[in-house]
Amino acid sequence: MKSFCKEKERRPGERHCCLKVIWTVILLLAILFLTEGFSLVWANLQNKTLMSISGKDGQVQKTETATFSLGGQKQAGSGSKSGLKAQPEATRPLTKAQPSTPAGPAASYLKSTPETMIEILKENRFLEEELKLARNSQYYFVLNLKEKTLELRARGLLLKSWKASKLLYSGKPVPLKVTTLTFKSALKPPERKVIKPGEAQGNSGPQQALTRESEPQKKGEKEKKKTDQNQPASSTVDKFEVEALEITDMPGSFELHFDDGLRIYVRSKSGLGERFRQTRELALWYLWYPVRQLLFPKAEQKPRLFLFFEEKRQAQGIYWSFIDGIKGLIWFP
Amino acid sequence: MKTWKKLLLMAASLYLVTLLILSLAWMKHLHLAAGWKTVWSVELEHKARISPEAHNATLKKKLKSLQPKGFYIVIDSAENRLYLKKDGVTLKEAVVSTGSGLVLEDPNGQRKWVFDTPKGEFFVKSKIQNPYWVKPDWAFIEENEPIPKRIEDRIEAGVLGDYALGFGQGYFIHGTLYTRLLGRNVTHGCVRVADKDLEEVFKASKIGTRIYIY
Repeated sequence: MKSFCKEKERRPGERHCCLKVIWTVILLLAILFLTEGFSLVWANLQNKTLMSISGKDGQVQKTETATFSLGGQKQAGSGSKSGLKAQPEATRPLTKAQPSTPAGPAASYLKSTPETMIEILKENRFLEEELKLARNSQYYFVLNLKEKTLELRARGLLLKSWKASKLLYSGKPVPLKVTTLTFKSALKPPERKVIKPGEAQGNSGPQQALTRESEPQKKGEKEKKKTDQNQPASSTVDKFEVEALEITDMPGSFELHFDDGLRIYVRSKSGLGERFRQTRELALWYLWYPVRQLLFPKAEQKPRLFLFFEEKRQAQGIYWSFIDGIKGLIWFP
Repeated sequence: MKTWKKLLLMAASLYLVTLLILSLAWMKHLHLAAGWKTVWSVELEHKARISPEAHNATLKKKLKSLQPKGFYIVIDSAENRLYLKKDGVTLKEAVVSTGSGLVLEDPNGQRKWVFDTPKGEFFVKSKIQNPYWVKPDWAFIEENEPIPKRIEDRIEAGVLGDYALGFGQGYFIHGTLYTRLLGRNVTHGCVRVADKDLEEVFKASKIGTRIYIY
């Protein structure tokens, strides 16, 4: 390159040959990157099914392919490609094909199946898992990645729903099966206050925090108030504080750790310090996580989800309701 | 080559390498992200003779059969709200008080009580009008009073309102005199409701009515 550049005479003000080459390469790479990015986005918008059936130990079980043989059944509609709109009562014999490795024949089978049928199969899988949860008396959660909603359900009934303003996910995709919350972690977890009657009785002035059902008769229907230890008891009824664990004591940002390695980071707009942390996490998500996936592809990429909420109370409500051991499902309908 | 040109070349090379790594990394990342939308499992039974649509309908039917029929009660202990519902429609919303979450330790060091409203699915097990309160041990320990030996000394009337719905383990949905504290977590685990709201809930409920608390 040096000799080549030497031969050519440069005009006054013209850039060095090497720099021209470098800038050209940079430009080409940028064009390549943008093209690839746009093509992937376009592919996603077109809802082309990229078959990625993971065949690890408990995630996807025997991926035996099956073919639908329509036989002599009439197809509803006017010869559309989604010909499986036949009456649901009609049974179609399912012939089990030979067991196959996850990637090959399974993918080809699914490619040949209309998208509506794939959606139904996917929904069936989800319903099967939800049925396992609904049979228990404890409530469970369902995280819908498409709608960005987190729902609390019991027996299939919707109890509460939270809508996230933003949702990010990285790492190995989560399989569609029941996952259990192991523990929650937060920078400032709430602490339960302990009542020690003997110590409280010794102090003159401060009154008990809790109101009790039997108090009015004894105290002349005067409502109890909580005061600080060093302050005298106030006699005004309207101004009072309650010493209790309430939703406002819950953290606005925390992590949920699940038994399959999944981590859900719940974030909300809760102060300047939190904004710095979220900015750092976003920078990591956009820069470091992709590079780490590229540099260490064989290392197990733990699935991570980031849920951002507009209001802090939403995140606090999730922390309150998500008790240790709660089970749930995460899926993309 | 001059020094500044060398530095410029190094900087440009570094920039190039960084851009290359980032672009490759993002391509891979986008592929993985697409996997989140599509990864799922296909599992068909060996002798499956039901079409997917029929199976779908069956599953939905099974799920619906688990849901409560008629009235049921939902209590949001975080927001201190009670909802009387039927077929998924909210018929009544009431402001309530639920457990404070405080911990009471017995000075003798042997017992401990956590004043939480339990979470999960419960059933109405008893319906009582004009209930009276049989004070448990913690009510005396909390006030640093001696625990009475006679049961008559534990009874207190008029503090639980006009109605009470028991749902097991000593927990009740009952009325209250402390209406100003409704909406706060102030109880010892029970759910306090204003008498007017509770009347409607009491009349709609029967033994076996489901209660969901979260």
